[in-house]
Amino acid sequence: MRRRHWIVGAILVAIIAAAAGLARLDAGQQTVQAPIFEVDPLWPKPLPNHWLLGSAVGVAIDARDHIFVISLPDSFNTRTEIGAATDPPTGECCLPSPNILEFDAAGTLVSHWAARGGNIQVDGIDVGRAAWPVVNHGIALDPQGNLWIGGAGGTDTHLLKFSRNGRTVVPVGQPTDAAAAAGARGTGVSDTAAGGRRGGRGGRGGGAQAPPALPPNSNATDRFGGAAAVSFDAAANEAFIADGYRNRRVAVVDLTNGTVKRFWGAYGDPPADGPVAPYTPGATPARQFGTPVTCAELAADGMVYICDRSNNRIQVFRKDGTFVQEKIIAPQTRGAGSVWDIAFSRDPQQRYLYVADGMNMKVHILDRQSLDVLTSFGDGGRQPGQFYAVHSIATDSQGNIYTTETYQGKRVQKFVFRGVGTVTRANRGVVWPGR
Amino acid sequence: MKRTHQVILGTGLVVAITALGFAQAALDAKADQQTVQAPIFEVDPLWPKPLPNHWVLGSAIGVGVDSRDHVFIIHRRESVAQTEAGAAADPPISECCIPAPPVLEFDPEGNLVGHWGGPGEGYTWPSSNHGIAIDHKDNIWIGGNGGADSHILKFTHDGQLLMQIGRVGQPANSRSTEHFGRVAKISFDPAANEAYLADGYGNKRVAVIDMDDGRVKRFWGAYGNEPDDTNLGPYNPDAPLVQQFRNPVHCADPTLDGLVYVCDRPNDRIQVFRTDGTFVNEVRIAPRTLGDGSVWDIAFSRDPEQKYLYLADGKNMKVYVIDRPSLQILTSFGDGGRQPGQFFAVHSIATDAQGNIFTTETYEGKRVQKFVYKGVGSVSTRNQGAVWPGRR
Repeated sequence: MRRRHWIVGAILVAIIAAAAGLARLDAGQQTVQAPIFEVDPLWPKPLPNHWLLGSAVGVAIDARDHIFVISLPDSFNTRTEIGAATDPPTGECCLPSPNILEFDAAGTLVSHWAARGGNIQVDGIDVGRAAWPVVNHGIALDPQGNLWIGGAGGTDTHLLKFSRNGRTVVPVGQPTDAAAAAGARGTGVSDTAAGGRRGGRGGRGGGAQAPPALPPNSNATDRFGGAAAVSFDAAANEAFIADGYRNRRVAVVDLTNGTVKRFWGAYGDPPADGPVAPYTPGATPARQFGTPVTCAELAADGMVYICDRSNNRIQVFRKDGTFVQEKIIAPQTRGAGSVWDIAFSRDPQQRYLYVADGMNMKVHILDRQSLDVLTSFGDGGRQPGQFYAVHSIATDSQGNIYTTETYQGKRVQKFVFRGVGTVTRANRGVVWPGR
Repeated sequence: MKRTHQVILGTGLVVAITALGFAQAALDAKADQQTVQAPIFEVDPLWPKPLPNHWVLGSAIGVGVDSRDHVFIIHRRESVAQTEAGAAADPPISECCIPAPPVLEFDPEGNLVGHWGGPGEGYTWPSSNHGIAIDHKDNIWIGGNGGADSHILKFTHDGQLLMQIGRVGQPANSRSTEHFGRVAKISFDPAANEAYLADGYGNKRVAVIDMDDGRVKRFWGAYGNEPDDTNLGPYNPDAPLVQQFRNPVHCADPTLDGLVYVCDRPNDRIQVFRTDGTFVNEVRIAPRTLGDGSVWDIAFSRDPEQKYLYLADGKNMKVYVIDRPSLQILTSFGDGGRQPGQFFAVHSIATDAQGNIFTTETYEGKRVQKFVYKGVGSVSTRNQGAVWPGRR
């Protein structure tokens, strides 16, 4: 009897101790110091002219904290969504917005750029001509204030660099005439629009059939293979190109004349375009980047962060291509992958790194040095602070985050920076005001 | 002398006509900035609360409000694209998302408090569920616009089947008393114990049934005519008005004063009847609208007179506020877009006891939105755009 009491007592003590230990462990893991964000549900202001934003595949911030958004005007369903664009119109609403929209910090539309045939229109006025990419993708402002856009279409082999007024346009990389390339064989890769075209009833994109894709060439020095995004090194006068939707490399070009200075693949190895097995959770990480390579973001301390999207990983390099480290994010993710785009916090140390994860519908907040995931926010849905395929991410000088959504998300959203504080490590869900 | 008179008369006429012209222009200019007394609404950008379990909505094609102001919506799970439903794949390819169950119940604060729906024992769930309505006993009725959906379903508040009405899998026949033709929406006349069916996507009629036994009591077509299933071809705004409804007949809503308002969607018109099917009057709304048409769904204001009629126009992406007795459009709100208070194909509309409006959006809209009633006041007769808090 007495012995039994002793046993029961011992077990109880053990359970309590274990529970206390667990609790302590949990407490250690449950919260963390990290930047706090809150969605602004009423940013930006409604667009004029019954304009609609298409699949939104790039966002950039200029020195005045103006927000530039690039979208796909051919990502709409003609029958159900853009009745005002047909001849005759079937309804009063809506029309595709121009390709590039510029908002001021208050969310007012202040300028817009459109590709009309071969013409570039700024605020509705023809200013010049350019070989616009079949699928414009990514937008960035270089240190001189020039606007760069990439091209993710199957026949896109160049980027465009516009002067601030749009009048001077320089292709970076040799453009390919899409019509001339139509004879080439290959598989379409433009998954920016494809998701939309697989949408539900009345939701399919109305875009014309894209020409067959060109083969990749990750060793080319005169052209690119579906460039997704670009960032800049003012001191070295260089641009880092995430190349791309067909190629599997980072390409560094001279900012002034656009010549390719160097390039590399995963782990800093020479890039190779051979077939790569699809990502499998738990398998040895691939020795090459998957496609698409969707970001190449340079930090102030000279580290370059690459989005190897379909492999769910960030790879970090020195500017010369020396591999530093890698981090797998949400390793169970398949399909389009978890690492879509990267932005940095705006403190001088760029202490935090934000990852847009369009497959898991959230934004991860990482400690940039350790690449530890501190927390995340967002979830799937059409309400403010929710995401459908959050595709691109940028920060303004106040530390606010802006995101764009592709496929049928078709939004730009603003997340107001509320300082660094205590937050849960677990996903915070929808970060609403007052929540 | 005579000639002088003629000149003076002529000059006078010119002056008079010119003056009339100016007056008309002045009137037009004034009309441009005119205001009117009408209900005022403001979108609640944070309603409802986020769904649990990484659930997302598909095309949302019905909304109804129960006696406790709980909001029920119905949507199409199968309309969620692969790129959005990664967690529903086998094996899952992402943490998000999963199509929510077809029927969702929210309390007035927007909390999800119930969910049900889908195939079950003893009934055939519609191949494409469409419309949800809550009767005065808080039972829930559902139609369907899929090819084989010639029946409707009646459930208890929590989703237990009460009745399947109409034979399943029948082709369109607007004179049938055995089945329906892809019913879009159901509404009720509690005093008469009758349900009104907008029938529908296959048939071209209003059908009135007994709420308890489901028996078809009467039916009619446009202008109260005997319905006819002849294909009318596409709507032409300049042609004489057709004597039949076009598909889909999208709503049939009775009022407390014994009128029935029917959405003849692709014909861009509301037709009004007495409950016995006698034609009363009609109004054309945005009659240049082609394709899906302008008249998608109707709800009434909650004052005893039901003075105002709210019309969801999923093609022009807005809601009209209409004076019910005169059928005059007073104002409208909304525009195309993915932000709060904007619409992509606003499909269904309902009001709660407080006078608030709830809308759902189909296609890739895939939302339910709440517009808070702010009383009757002075508003522009022109479209108000997105009715955001603090914008007035």
